[in-house]
Amino acid sequence: MEMTGEQLIPLPQEATWRALNDTAILKVCIPGCETIEQVSDTEYQLTMTAKVGPVSAKFKGKMTLSEVDVPHSYTLVFEGQGGVAGFAKGQANVRLTPESEATKLGYTVKAMVGGKLAQVGSRLIDGVARKIAEQFFSAFNKHVTGTAAGSAAGE
Amino acid sequence: MRAFDYHRPATLKEAASLLRKNENARALSGGQSLIPALKLRLAAPAALVDLGAIEELRGIKLDGAVLTVGAMVRHSEVATSRDVAIGIPALARLAEDIGDRQVRNMGTLGGALANNDPAADYPAAVLGLGATIHTNKRAIAADKFFLGLYETALKRGEIITSVAFPLPKRAAYAKFANPASRFALVGVFVSEGAGSVRVAVTGAAPCVFRAKDMEKKLAANFAPDVLAKVRVPPDGLNSDIHASAEYRAHLITVMAKRAVAAAVAGK
Repeated sequence: MEMTGEQLIPLPQEATWRALNDTAILKVCIPGCETIEQVSDTEYQLTMTAKVGPVSAKFKGKMTLSEVDVPHSYTLVFEGQGGVAGFAKGQANVRLTPESEATKLGYTVKAMVGGKLAQVGSRLIDGVARKIAEQFFSAFNKHVTGTAAGSAAGE
Repeated sequence: MRAFDYHRPATLKEAASLLRKNENARALSGGQSLIPALKLRLAAPAALVDLGAIEELRGIKLDGAVLTVGAMVRHSEVATSRDVAIGIPALARLAEDIGDRQVRNMGTLGGALANNDPAADYPAAVLGLGATIHTNKRAIAADKFFLGLYETALKRGEIITSVAFPLPKRAAYAKFANPASRFALVGVFVSEGAGSVRVAVTGAAPCVFRAKDMEKKLAANFAPDVLAKVRVPPDGLNSDIHASAEYRAHLITVMAKRAVAAAVAGK
């Protein structure tokens, strides 16, 4: 499945890029994220719990950045193992374009789920993936908006 | 399944306190979604708080212009209740067509609402009748209860106690069911009440919603034909191996027309 979306981030492009690469910010914004660790320039390891309705599955995964074009775009390849629940993998293309003082963040996410989750939840996977992507990008927007407002007030 | 604690409190207060104290405890009502998830190891709560022994969550009451159904009332009880048949026959027929016989004999109204499965039937009736959901803390209007995919306004430790349905002048539910699961690919509940028309759609989107354009047309003239050209746009509708978003969008109009026709005919 594939989904696209857009957010207007009230930060300049450079600052938006830095925030997107800040593990502390990612940890707060990825829904259900428990730990995230940068293991190399382009690799992160994370654990998260995905809770949807009666189901709750813990995923251990890794994210790899590729085709990095600072500060314009990158591709994030992710892969997670959820034990008996199954697995999830996919990639996200993120593009940043300046829009006067702010930055337009566009994303295209492709995701695939396999194993037991896919077997019993096929009718729900699209909705869940869309929800997780929306939650992440809107939490990210809210977080950096709050930070931007805070530092502006502090100056 | 993994080991977990099992509680069967006799009072609502005790149940709420058990759920509040333990973040990983889940309330168990009819168990028709939660137990299969446990069996598949897709959920591993530390404790289950079974609501089955709490007397105040039971019972159906028809009182003047309001039908009140307890949270632990099973679908089969709603389907065969004399009070429901007199007050809101459309609700009895909806309950009669939920899932299969096993699900109807175990599943409960409160459980279905708290779970808020995107394809469940009851949310359409609760939203389509403008019912009020009562909990151990407060009363929540249907319009404020269903927030998103499996998301409701319920807080942790909050338990649905009953649902109060205002009696409509006429109402009906039409569903296009998945032949295997009997879940709604699209289900539409329409009602005409005191000065208001409601159209609630389940199965089509991540969460039940009201088709306001349809409501406007029906408020002027409560007849199936006025909906012929009203389309809910497919953007944001569910798309899966069973049906595309475009197909579901089409089905909404078809099911809404059928529901209005049934309501008009009084069937």
